[in-house]
Amino acid sequence: MIRRRLAAGVVAAGMAAAALLSGCGGDDASDGPVTLKVLTWEPGGTEYWKQVKTSFEASHPDIKLDMQSVPFDKYPEVQGPYITSQSGPDVMANNAGLELFDRRGAYVPLGDKAAEINKDLVTYSGACEGFDTAKPCYGVPFSYQGNVLYYNKSILTAAGLDPEKPPATWTEFSAACEAVKKAGKTCLALGLSGTFPAYWDFPEIARSYLSEDDIRGLLAGTLSWKDPKLVAVLEKLAEITTKGWANSNAPSITMLPDGADIFQRGDAAFAGTIISDAVNWEAFGKALGDDKLGVTRWPAAEPTAALAQKFSGIEGAVYGVTKWSEKKDAGLEFITWLAGKENGELWVKHAKGQPLNKNVDKALLPSSPAFQKIQELVAEPTLHAGVMLSGPEADALARGWQQVSLGQLTVDKWAEQMQQALERSPTKKQGN
Amino acid sequence: MTISTAPVPEPVAADKPTRPARRPPRPGRAREWWLGAVLVLPALVLAVMFKVVPLIRGVITSTESSSGFGGSSFAGADNYTRMLDDPMVLTSFRNALLVVATLPVWIVLPLVLALLIHQRSPGWKFFRAVYFVPYTIAPIVVGIMFRQILAPDGPLNALLRTVGLEPLAIQWLNGRYSALFALVAVALWSFFGLGVMTYLAGLATIPEETLEAAYLDGAGFWRRLLSVVVPMLRPTVAYWSVLCASGVLIWLFPLIYALTQGGPGDATMLPEYLVFLTTFQFLDRGYGSAIGIALFVFVAVLSIFSVRHMFTEGTRKPR
Repeated sequence: MIRRRLAAGVVAAGMAAAALLSGCGGDDASDGPVTLKVLTWEPGGTEYWKQVKTSFEASHPDIKLDMQSVPFDKYPEVQGPYITSQSGPDVMANNAGLELFDRRGAYVPLGDKAAEINKDLVTYSGACEGFDTAKPCYGVPFSYQGNVLYYNKSILTAAGLDPEKPPATWTEFSAACEAVKKAGKTCLALGLSGTFPAYWDFPEIARSYLSEDDIRGLLAGTLSWKDPKLVAVLEKLAEITTKGWANSNAPSITMLPDGADIFQRGDAAFAGTIISDAVNWEAFGKALGDDKLGVTRWPAAEPTAALAQKFSGIEGAVYGVTKWSEKKDAGLEFITWLAGKENGELWVKHAKGQPLNKNVDKALLPSSPAFQKIQELVAEPTLHAGVMLSGPEADALARGWQQVSLGQLTVDKWAEQMQQALERSPTKKQGN
Repeated sequence: MTISTAPVPEPVAADKPTRPARRPPRPGRAREWWLGAVLVLPALVLAVMFKVVPLIRGVITSTESSSGFGGSSFAGADNYTRMLDDPMVLTSFRNALLVVATLPVWIVLPLVLALLIHQRSPGWKFFRAVYFVPYTIAPIVVGIMFRQILAPDGPLNALLRTVGLEPLAIQWLNGRYSALFALVAVALWSFFGLGVMTYLAGLATIPEETLEAAYLDGAGFWRRLLSVVVPMLRPTVAYWSVLCASGVLIWLFPLIYALTQGGPGDATMLPEYLVFLTTFQFLDRGYGSAIGIALFVFVAVLSIFSVRHMFTEGTRKPR
């Protein structure tokens, strides 16, 4: 009898504790602050995210942030099990484009809220179905991303080139590379191990050959890789290495940090990288001196093409509220704040990145000439063809470029491999 | 002669064998059995939880077709038949066979070094520690370190050029085959310390007198190695062989990850890296699981031969 009573007491106490704990875990209706678990790779650095936490919690006393930070290159491995088990953080990050497209099943569609957030942003489509804001959107971006060609003015001068008139066409770029090589330097710092360079450089050449419809066809998987337009893009990519414009060890080194190091050391005239966080105008400006750093669009292979003089733009990191979260309202509040003016200003000040919010105080923007030039370039954005690729396509693009550079593959065979990769893609082959 | 008057027992029927008399149960025996069972149980539970269940789950997943991280549907043997037409899968297994072909080096090199230490060659204490140090470094760190060492203008090529071996200063991580064998060499550097230690443990069981007698009889290093040490060390050699046979196919992941990412092209693509790539980068977990199961079968077949060899060779008494 005593045992029975004891057992009943233990069960009752357990139930009370469970009820108390579930209360503490906090759904939106519970008393006290809600704790949001956020999975992030901390784009922009630790200091920026400290500021995010402090500022957001100060203006939202009812919401606490519990950040789980994972290194960028380990992020998919940590995120994958959360998604497959439909449990874990309330808010998670993804890169826009194919990454979010592939993982969108983990997020709550934002509905009408998407339009409200969209009104203050430069562009906002990478988190939406088919890159179309009229369709369901699954996340909120706060930074702006894309690729430019940085150059070292001193090397161009030494090579007899005008640093104020960087090459604008493929022919001019070819001539500039020959001059730079004669001056004893590498023309384009490049690291092909990993998908980044392929993912970044492909859209810059694709703008000379593809229309926006073609780029959307790339996303839908309806544009064949054997199409002459895409084969032409691959041919131009191949020329970068087969004509000796890049460093010879490119196939076996990574773009970040190896390729970028070559440029920062002053050993290469050009480097094609990004405009937001990681290695950008700020890092290069610090290494070479702001006055020595130039920035331009990638040279146009077909200067008269409709998109050739535009910028391939895309959001940086995108945050969404997970389907399994019990704190969806708080999560939505947080990601809306991320896209807002206040956070945009923190992003500029502490992460030194390109903001996405149009209302960010212009006085806060960096005064470096390279950054100012970037402001001109990003004013006319178009779709970023790189993020339309599925995982297998991005991988085949990177590996194929390595093989072409080493003379192990022809461009036609590369195009065939790309088509096979497209057909292997689980998200594209099934029409999802 | 006396005639017994005791009743004659009935002859036992041929189809009714006598049941052996049951021994009276010993109270200690049952207790021993239970104690053994209790001691084995945790290992059994762990093996089931972390080996058998994931394996079964892997087999089930390999029969599913999945799209991203969304739901999945039954695909039967589609993922397996798809592998036969996938050049990347075929290349990865061909690369695996090339890696397996390096096994003799994995087995012999640590043995030679262990014997040199065992016979107290000059500096043996120093080398005993030095050889084991690489094994204590995390493979991912080893990979990052060797990316610098094997760079075209890295320290290895600088050394080769300095000592007049310029033609050998190649782009180690760029070639179709040099990249794979550079990867294997780095793995060997990283793991052979474990082999040296394993062999040293085995060598400690060989009586000193036997080696001394061989030495006094005029047997040189290689004669002692082949005619005395190897026959007496069969169980250890066989054990290390089994470990290496499976290990070379499942130890390399962190090195590939840090050193080559399977490239250039598919030159260093091995099945274990392809499983990771397919599952987490391409989000095709059904197909990734199928490649994983194929790798499991490949390693199991290889290990079965080695284990069988170990059993027959390792248990044979030295002549």
